[in-house]
Amino acid sequence: MATTDEWRRQHQRYKEDVKRRGKPFYPYAMFHDTVMSLVVVSVIIGLAAVWYYTSGEDPKTCGSGDSCLLGPRYSEPADPATTNFVPRPDWYFYFLFYLLRIFKWPDSVILGTVGIPTVMLIIAFALPFLDRRMERRLTRRPVAIVAAILVVISMGELTYKGAIAKEALASEVVQAVPSWAQRQGFANNAEAVAGAKIFASSGCTACHTYLGTGSSNQGAPDLSAEATRGKSKQQLMAYIRDPSQFGNNIMPKFGFSDQQLSQLAAFLLASKGPK
Amino acid sequence: MAVTTRTRKSARRRQLEAAINYPIDWLEERSGLIGGLRYFLFRKVPGDTNWFHTLGSATLTAFLVQALTGVILAMYYQPDATVNPATGTSAAYGSIQHITNDLTLGWLVRGMHKWGASVFIILLFFHMARVFLFGAYKYPRELNWIIGVTLLVFGMLEGFTGYLLPWDQTAYWATVVGINLNGTAPILGPFLADFLRGGAEIGGDTLSRFYSLHMLLLPGAIFALIGLHLYLVIRLGVTSPPWSREAAGTDWNEKPSENGRSGLTQPSGRSAWRRNGADT
Repeated sequence: MATTDEWRRQHQRYKEDVKRRGKPFYPYAMFHDTVMSLVVVSVIIGLAAVWYYTSGEDPKTCGSGDSCLLGPRYSEPADPATTNFVPRPDWYFYFLFYLLRIFKWPDSVILGTVGIPTVMLIIAFALPFLDRRMERRLTRRPVAIVAAILVVISMGELTYKGAIAKEALASEVVQAVPSWAQRQGFANNAEAVAGAKIFASSGCTACHTYLGTGSSNQGAPDLSAEATRGKSKQQLMAYIRDPSQFGNNIMPKFGFSDQQLSQLAAFLLASKGPK
Repeated sequence: MAVTTRTRKSARRRQLEAAINYPIDWLEERSGLIGGLRYFLFRKVPGDTNWFHTLGSATLTAFLVQALTGVILAMYYQPDATVNPATGTSAAYGSIQHITNDLTLGWLVRGMHKWGASVFIILLFFHMARVFLFGAYKYPRELNWIIGVTLLVFGMLEGFTGYLLPWDQTAYWATVVGINLNGTAPILGPFLADFLRGGAEIGGDTLSRFYSLHMLLLPGAIFALIGLHLYLVIRLGVTSPPWSREAAGTDWNEKPSENGRSGLTQPSGRSAWRRNGADT
């Protein structure tokens, strides 16, 4: 750790050195800056061109008619009523998005949504006050090097995992309903089977897992044995109708009808865990 | 004869120079801006600045691309979630389709804005990594590091608010989840979520709210912070690479290693040559 006087002397020396032996910003550094800026603009134009020319006006033709190398021009119009859509942020939020798979609702999910990102941000802001040594050469900053490598690896890994995480489409999940009914033993309970179909087709498995189907996201719990948690049908219906009333601000309101809510609750109450 | 021609020519040149210089002098006398520009352009930077030092200006370029394309998009985009009965889609979604498919070069402007956002974020991170690895956040540049981290946060908020604007399924559901995640924060969370939504549900109010934040508040703050960031860079000077001996934090009495590897942590052969006064 250097004293303030040492820092000041060092910076004074820097200013004298630069004045004596430095080179003017224009044209030397500005040349590099200009070349780099032209590269940046070219890359942006290139990405825009590839994106446009590999996609079509209709988002549905992506994958069949158009290759959509860089994704569609837009997806289907926003529709709060359809629920079988897998939410996914832009790629630079994937690390946050994937972080939430590690933590489970309700015990520790706050660590993923708020805790870890806030701590990382505070460390980033406080960095100049945490590292007060004068040394700048990398070979003599082992802690900084290790921290940098760990941050890059963990953020890279989380981003990569978030990118390859594949959520099943509702149409595929619905096909699993008969096997659920058989394994849970509710094949004769028509209301529960109807609820299972709603569960499978409404995108619930984008966050919840059920008998190994679906992907654990946003800290949502596995629902295979929900009946064992001792909630009544009325409680389940009220919870699904508006989770925010129960302090759950992550799960959205899906706008189910009373009949659908009743069927979903029956399905959950028939889910006693696989035999 | 020759002498007269030269005198006439030089008189004309003097007139021309006076005509060019007059507005420059006029501006300088009243604002000092020309002196400022000269200082900016001809200020000394360390002799061994290199390509790593271009990441900051590259990030600035990406931001200016966003600002310019954003202004053009705002001329055509409609932040209106109301469904048009004639087309069956919202005005916002319709205007995005119109920009991308119908307008001359509209695809280029929207494509550059969409992909420029990603390039901007990547460059922000690269620039941050360079500053970290060079130890350039140390005295007296601590404040500039903090401004930089704030810029990173605001840049990502631009990404979050901009993502909703096409008002398609991707946008809508990503924002539903994003706002709900904000809502889990202790104490402030639910208020923040309500503020972002502009009501109990995500709808037209959310869209116009995000649009306003995306094109007024956040870019305004980013412009101001970039101005402050650049001011501090110019005032405090560009950090030399950690391996340089002049103008750097290394000890004057210390000898550079004779057999060290050249590269990121050691002087390269070329900079050693330059350091010995070859081009000073």
